[in-house]
Amino acid sequence: MTLVLFIGDMLIMAFMIAIVVWLSLRSTRAVLDAAARIPLEDEDRDG
Amino acid sequence: MGTASYQDRIVTAFTACAMFWAVLGMLAGVYVAAELVWPTINFGQPALSFGRVRTLHTTLVLFGFGVSALIGTAFYSVQRTSHVRLFAPGLAWFVFYAWQLAIVLGGCSILAGWNSGKEYAELEWPFDLAIAVAWVAFAIVFFGTIARRRMESIYISNWFYGALIIVVAMLHIVNSLAMPATLGKSYSLFAGAQDAVVQWWYGHNAVGFLLTGGFLGMLYYFLPKHAEQPIWSYRLSIVSFWAFVYTYIWAGPHHLHYHAIPEWVQSLGMVMSLILLAPSWATMVNGIMTVSAASQKLRTDPALKFIVLSLAFYGLATFEGPMLAIKSVNVFSHFTEWTIGHVHSGALGWNALITFGTFYFLVPRLAGVPLYSARLANVHFWLALAGVMLYVLAMWGAGVSQGVLWLSLDELGEVRFSFNDVMAAMKPYYLLRFVAGLVFLVGAMLMAVNLARTFAGRRTIEVAPPGSRVGAGGRT
Repeated sequence: MTLVLFIGDMLIMAFMIAIVVWLSLRSTRAVLDAAARIPLEDEDRDG
Repeated sequence: MGTASYQDRIVTAFTACAMFWAVLGMLAGVYVAAELVWPTINFGQPALSFGRVRTLHTTLVLFGFGVSALIGTAFYSVQRTSHVRLFAPGLAWFVFYAWQLAIVLGGCSILAGWNSGKEYAELEWPFDLAIAVAWVAFAIVFFGTIARRRMESIYISNWFYGALIIVVAMLHIVNSLAMPATLGKSYSLFAGAQDAVVQWWYGHNAVGFLLTGGFLGMLYYFLPKHAEQPIWSYRLSIVSFWAFVYTYIWAGPHHLHYHAIPEWVQSLGMVMSLILLAPSWATMVNGIMTVSAASQKLRTDPALKFIVLSLAFYGLATFEGPMLAIKSVNVFSHFTEWTIGHVHSGALGWNALITFGTFYFLVPRLAGVPLYSARLANVHFWLALAGVMLYVLAMWGAGVSQGVLWLSLDELGEVRFSFNDVMAAMKPYYLLRFVAGLVFLVGAMLMAVNLARTFAGRRTIEVAPPGSRVGAGGRT
């Protein structure tokens, strides 16, 4: 049972790592730079 | 109130409660530290006994101070990074009242002797149910806001806050599965070694996803905001997030080295703990490099000083943790005060300092006025640094002494020092720990006064998403 859980979890991890690698390769420099600037341009203060 | 403005009153409410619980929780911590030096100050009262007040301390600082700060800052940053108001604001207020009520009544129940016996999850089943409901409501507000976002990207801080919400819900519900016997007593559905594995799967991942992941969410939003610099490497922040999530969930068994659980589970816990060093230090480097671009501001700004110092302690604690998880080191360190020192270098040095720095930045913005006293904040900075350093050094000294004395054998192979001998050797360290806690507490009290005075001078201010129209009047 423990072996099944372990192998199952490792397979899920491999799947998720593949998604991250895919997402990372998909993102362009411009997209990442724009995302990084979100906190710097998120308020219109009045008062 | 302008219809487009961000909803910040709830952030103010969470911030005020977080400061209240910080002072009360740290006061409870100083009291139990004093009890270890002067045991008679419990006056024979069960409600003042070490077991109950220590549990009250951890509950108030973790769930009162820590979680209130996390929910408040999550509500603040998710609106801004999504360019929309909170989803279901009424539900957000329900989260606030439910959470604070659970802490008040839960704290009273602990002093009354209700205790599930699970570390960092001591509250009994009625509170577990209430916490689960409040947490799900928090999830609905947070993810509902993200779902309505006007930005294409989901900013990195929201990934960390999101992981906090999802994983803590999973941990809390599974670890709290129990059969109620009475209103104040229940029994875990798990037994023996399985109960221990589930408990430390919960316990260590509460450290991971609440005290690390949640506060990294705070760091990734408030550090760039305050330094007025984008995060040094956004790509690195994404990679370290996923590496952190994958590895942390396996690290819990390092709490059970040499216990009655499978050997491979222990070794896996150790290996995953060592791997964790990579994403942890990647985050620290990312933070330090971001600050280095704003080094001028660092000289004069107390809030930024707190955040930078917290990063240093984050690096220290995330190096020390994997080292303590190595089985041959754990032989020496397990059950000693070294572990307490490690926990507090993280809890005081990382969690409390990043929160203090964030609040020194946040409260003047919420109030629309400058901080009441930057000088007082600087005094607090040095008190906090002195307090945490004294605490950690005291516990390192105590822990190493305990490890040496416990493992010291005589010529017959018997332990050389009795329990009383070891306890007698602890007295100077315990006294130093009490002084350290008191110094840290005084700093937190100065901060509470400083923030209260800042907020007392508040003025009307409207903060809205960029480009949106703001109506007149009212406080946000």
